[in-house]
Amino acid sequence: MFKRNRTPRPWSPGLLVLFLLTAVPLVAGLGYALLYSLGLVGLLREGFTLQHWGAVLGSMVFWKSLTFSIYLATASMALAIMLALQLVLRWRDTWQSGWLSYGIYLPLTFPAMVVAFLVFQWFTGAGWFARLAYHVGLLQDVDQFPAMVNDPWGLGILLAHAAMATPFFAIFFGQLYAAEGLANYAQLAASLGASERQVRRRILIPVLLRRASPTLILYFVFVLGSYEIPLLLGSQSPQMISVLAIRKLQRFNLQDIPQAYVICLVYAALVLVVTPMLLRRFRMKAHE
Amino acid sequence: MKRWQWISAISFLAVMALSGCGPDSGGQSSDTVLALPWDSIEARARGTTVNMMMWSGDPLINAYMRDYVAPVVADRYGVTLDIASGQGNYIVQTLMAELQAGKTQSDLDLLWINGETFYQLRQIDGLLGPWTDRLPNAAWIDWENPFIARDFQQPVDGFECPWGNVQMALIYNSEKVADPPRTREALLAFVQAHPGKFTFDTQFTGLTFLKALLMDIAGGAEALAGPFDEEKYARYSTVLWDYLRQLQPYLWKEGKTFPEAVAPLHQLFANGEVWFTMSNNDCEVDNKIRQGVFPPTARAYVPAFGTIQNSHYLGIPRHSGQAAGAMVVVNFMLSPEAQYRKQDPAVWGDGTVLDVPRLEGEWPAKFAALPIRQYGPSREEMQARALPEPAPEYMIRLAADFRREIIEQ
Repeated sequence: MFKRNRTPRPWSPGLLVLFLLTAVPLVAGLGYALLYSLGLVGLLREGFTLQHWGAVLGSMVFWKSLTFSIYLATASMALAIMLALQLVLRWRDTWQSGWLSYGIYLPLTFPAMVVAFLVFQWFTGAGWFARLAYHVGLLQDVDQFPAMVNDPWGLGILLAHAAMATPFFAIFFGQLYAAEGLANYAQLAASLGASERQVRRRILIPVLLRRASPTLILYFVFVLGSYEIPLLLGSQSPQMISVLAIRKLQRFNLQDIPQAYVICLVYAALVLVVTPMLLRRFRMKAHE
Repeated sequence: MKRWQWISAISFLAVMALSGCGPDSGGQSSDTVLALPWDSIEARARGTTVNMMMWSGDPLINAYMRDYVAPVVADRYGVTLDIASGQGNYIVQTLMAELQAGKTQSDLDLLWINGETFYQLRQIDGLLGPWTDRLPNAAWIDWENPFIARDFQQPVDGFECPWGNVQMALIYNSEKVADPPRTREALLAFVQAHPGKFTFDTQFTGLTFLKALLMDIAGGAEALAGPFDEEKYARYSTVLWDYLRQLQPYLWKEGKTFPEAVAPLHQLFANGEVWFTMSNNDCEVDNKIRQGVFPPTARAYVPAFGTIQNSHYLGIPRHSGQAAGAMVVVNFMLSPEAQYRKQDPAVWGDGTVLDVPRLEGEWPAKFAALPIRQYGPSREEMQARALPEPAPEYMIRLAADFRREIIEQ
């Protein structure tokens, strides 16, 4: 009796609508992709085959692309988190009042394509910074400006993602800082003799990162699958996973389309399996 | 039913719906239009809206369509022309998705396509046809010209209608380059002497450039004529990759990456980062200088080894609901009046597909009196170095192998 009262009704209208709007399209999309990748649907289908799976999984291009995507998502997140922590823990008073408190929201309003375009304009070989450096005499020729756009290390992509994520994380950490009452903890620790550095490294940063971990993981997934920024700022090889998938989907050879679905399925499997695992792990840690 | 059974059943139905396994009503209403006399086609077109999908990357072309073609067809024929942006692969993807879903009436009625898209759309049986012989103005098309009658070595067979004819031109900055390289050997020597100032994109324009190099290696204009030849491709492409490997370290960014499309390449050229760009529209240098995008010192030329000349076409999806309206619009776009205006370098500068000497009345004289382009070679000069498009498989293979042999090395 008691148990029945606690269990929510499995088919309440709200849950059903949520299920129809989220799980069904996702499962249907993945199911369709699976059938396509196995040669069972599509205008040019040739019947059941595993050759498309073999072509993708046996190709270094795919694994390089996946590794490159993980590297870039990790590097840009790390840079953004470091900058955001710096803003929150050192210069919070500067930007949490006055015009800067509004200005920090401004980058959040830019679409990814605009940020990518700005990074392109600023950092390309004949861009604003290269010309500026040339005019003030730092460079003999604009060509000497280091390659930061369309470069093999994805520096332009890293910069663009970090530029988008830093203000978001700064605002988020700032709110967590207030909500968790971290100023009180810091004061308490300081009164017990902890140095400023110890307070930051032992208390503030670990608490902020643990509390923020679900959001950080979801943002990591967002960066991992981003498309516009690597499309404009990335190099031709390696390409981030979404750019590779779209290339296979839209290029000249229609026989490559099933490979695009294989790439999407492997990526989806990775995200759908690893993300909940990480979320559960970090949630448990956050509540320890 | 248990919960998992519900989930499975709903998901299965959704997959089936998406994969087009549901009932297919197979609408072919556009086919019936083809049997009608022209008067009836015009009558049926009146009051309809034609959705056209075309590449919209050039303000001059957009203005020609928006400010000239659309108002005229609305005024004279009562057809509303709605233009949506999209090209090649996007068109193919859209029509594939519609056909796979069993959609009986397409969202698209008129398509601006070229040989590679034509090949793909024929592969998926996405085009209506034959319909071009129904158009009164098709009588003036220069079908004797192989650059018009054949698209990537494929006979058009009435499944697409020629609209314009262009030839690839290399564009250089004459302030930096006094005498542009005209042979493969001269290009290699020039690029080696001026590292970082030359590159090409990895899409249609860059691949068209690679096709010209491949044809030069193969021995000229007719060397790759006819269907795709695996043995020839293997033999000549090996030489091409060797050549490109010699070129690669001296290309822009040491050939480690290439512009994604021709638009970024134009931007690099406009910035001064590279000294060369290229275009499939031989009049683009005039257009871009007029728009202030390219420096006034930009010039176009065709190297001695030649460049590909091809036509671009208009197609109608097989399951278009407005085939009559689309045919009326195309008929107007083929008229001497519309073709004349399009060929004016101040409007677009696109070559006509009409057999001008055969036109009636004042038209031959009017075409002859059109202003000539200022910054590129004349059409006559280019024609002597025009290469025909090889079969589409050459491009498909070059696209894949260029990645494997050069980019991913």
